[in-house]
Amino acid sequence: MATAAAARPDPRGEDLDELDLYTIPIHSSWFSWDDIHDTERDALREFFDGSSISRTPKIYKDYRDFIINRYREDSSRRLAFTEVRKALVGDVSLLRKVFLFLEKWGLINFAAPPSGGAGGDGEGDGDGGAARRSRVVVEDGAPVGVRVVAVPNSGRPVILPAPAVGKYDGRKGSSAGQFRLPSLASYSDVFAGLMKQKGLVCGSCGGTCESGCYEYTKGEFNICVNCYNNGSCGENKSLGDFEFREGKGSSANHAAIWTEAETQLLLESISKHGNDWDLVAQNVKTKTKLDCILKLIELPFGEFMLGYSNGNGRDRNVDGNANNTSQVQSATSELPDETKTEKQSNVQTEEMEQNQIRDVLDEGPPLKKARVASLSDGGSSLMKQVSLMSALFGPNIASAAAESAVSAICNETFCPREIFYGSKGHISNGSSVPTTNHLGRDVENGDAEMKDEVPPADAQGPLPTKSHMPLQVRAATATALGVAAARAKSLADQEDREIEHKVASIIETQMKKVHDKIKYFEHLEHMMEKEYAEMDDLKGLVVSERINILQKALSAGITRWRDQSSLKPQAGS
Amino acid sequence: MPMKPLPASSSRVPVKFRIPTADNLVPIRLDIEIDGQRYRDAFTWNPSDPDSEVVVFAKRTVKDLKLPPAFVTQIAQSIQSQLADFRSYEGQDMFAGEKIVPIKLDMRVNQTLVRDQFLWDLNNFESDPEEFARTFCRDMDIQDPEVGPAIAFAIREQLYEIAIHNVTSARESRVSKKGRRGFEYVPASKAGGISLDLVKYFGHKTSVVRKRKDWDAFEPIVDILSSEEVDALEAREGKTTR
Repeated sequence: MATAAAARPDPRGEDLDELDLYTIPIHSSWFSWDDIHDTERDALREFFDGSSISRTPKIYKDYRDFIINRYREDSSRRLAFTEVRKALVGDVSLLRKVFLFLEKWGLINFAAPPSGGAGGDGEGDGDGGAARRSRVVVEDGAPVGVRVVAVPNSGRPVILPAPAVGKYDGRKGSSAGQFRLPSLASYSDVFAGLMKQKGLVCGSCGGTCESGCYEYTKGEFNICVNCYNNGSCGENKSLGDFEFREGKGSSANHAAIWTEAETQLLLESISKHGNDWDLVAQNVKTKTKLDCILKLIELPFGEFMLGYSNGNGRDRNVDGNANNTSQVQSATSELPDETKTEKQSNVQTEEMEQNQIRDVLDEGPPLKKARVASLSDGGSSLMKQVSLMSALFGPNIASAAAESAVSAICNETFCPREIFYGSKGHISNGSSVPTTNHLGRDVENGDAEMKDEVPPADAQGPLPTKSHMPLQVRAATATALGVAAARAKSLADQEDREIEHKVASIIETQMKKVHDKIKYFEHLEHMMEKEYAEMDDLKGLVVSERINILQKALSAGITRWRDQSSLKPQAGS
Repeated sequence: MPMKPLPASSSRVPVKFRIPTADNLVPIRLDIEIDGQRYRDAFTWNPSDPDSEVVVFAKRTVKDLKLPPAFVTQIAQSIQSQLADFRSYEGQDMFAGEKIVPIKLDMRVNQTLVRDQFLWDLNNFESDPEEFARTFCRDMDIQDPEVGPAIAFAIREQLYEIAIHNVTSARESRVSKKGRRGFEYVPASKAGGISLDLVKYFGHKTSVVRKRKDWDAFEPIVDILSSEEVDALEAREGKTTR
């Protein structure tokens, strides 16, 4: 015997496979709702020889479908022929033949208990039988008793009031009129509502959407992130119609996908609230603070964001003495004095920059601590945050950010591009951190050339420098990012070493502990052995003493019964 | 006649008279009263059995039931005459074409009351009233062993009646429609008012699944009477028959 899924094809074209599982014997696997098999043709020839208007293949199919559906309304009960025939128009003998045929092949009454003495619990008591009958959904037309309600989360089954109870409500005849359970309703249909409460279920793969899901905007249908990414969203639906819905665990999911609208919202709230990430996150709503920060780093720095960092970041940099941004900033602002005196400004300033970076790198650990502390504040400058991020999330992100910063500046105006890339030629100074070095070099070159053309603002007063000031700041920003990246790398290494060291020391301590324990146990064993020996001695002593006493008693001629009574307390002591 | 031409088939050829079931068994009903002793029975007889069997059967019955010997001839005669009745129709054309008739049961066997209605195809010579009755009793959980045979007999009796009726009506229609060729669909009303309008029930537009409101009419009803009720019923029946 085998289990075969025999789901009735739905007239509305919905895919009902796997909704209902009925067990039929394997030798009946030829059975199909849509077709009439040769087995049927052979066994019930009269339907297929065209001998009568009352015996046509269509009528046979109607009979067959009705009987099977009728049985499957409750497959645990034995379907009786007498119950079937009253609902079917036709020669009872012929109906009986069809019925017996279906029964013989196990298409009906297969899972039902064998007909015994009390055959047909439904027919014996006329009341119960009648009530069960009234439950069946049969109207005009073909056996439309089949009304399986589609996809689990189509929402319709939820309307059913207490479906589990309803199934047996049919016994009370009258209620059957209003409430009819679809004759082939499956567990998932009936309990879809309950299942839904447990968690969103992916409509495509069936898994639960823990980290979030995509909601179908044209109906109740969800698919999980995986299915969305794979593009499997079910037929007749396009990926464009899905909208991301955050799940419970999405705060931990760094790879959360940002929609256009969310990004827009993020940028807007950043411009409004500045560095207050709590407020920003509140504004974005669907994303956490961390997500927002990450997203901002990933974003190519557009004109908009740069305008923000110019206006806001700069004045904060002045007092933020612990962060590298201000250091670099101050370094660049110091430069003019030196460039004035030195003709070979390019080389000179570059060395300066390198020193600066090295300085910063040297004081890695303490700086890192300061930053970790500032994470909770959330109120420090953007640059601070960026460098913080670089410390937290590794050099890759930071360097990418720096690169995009530079390219954004380049895109903004034509002039800086010339500045950045115009004088690239004369530098060939290698460094431990190539990416950052390259960036720093670019920026620094830009600074140097700028100084050549125009005297700095603080030295010469407010002349045409104004147009170049933002550029300077931007360059500084980019440099800061580069430095941050370098620091991130070093910090990561440092962290690694620290962790290694700690782990080693932990293991060492554990080992020591174990050793101590072993020692202790050895000592204990020794003590035990000693005690054992003592006990042995004592035992021997007691035995010899006892023998002694016995001998004395015997020699003294004490009678046996007295002997026993007198000896007992002695032995006991 | 508004009827789609049916494919050529055996059903066009008029069937010779017989009981339209698998076994051509004649229902025999006996009700004999001699000297205040009444013998009632119902059974089927195979008309192809030699008639000498009738007397043997009668003797045997009388012996088994310890009836007075006078019953033997009465029984034998009754059976013989009923068989002769049956044979008088044999060889005649019964009917042509489709014929599905409703069979109604409304009977009492001892304490069991049975009421039922279903359709019977007169062209189905595989039908088996005895098997049908057995299934009926099993499905309805009827314990009384006499009910099954009684149901089968009732079906046979009705089929017999219909067959006789058809023979006569076929004869009439043959007379009235002499010369008309091919299959003629005889509407239910003309064919004696019992057979069904097949197009109405089996046409393409309708479903063979009955409408819900008809279910009750075709639903078998079985009642078990108390012995008092049986007594009362028998008393009333006795009155009406006398």
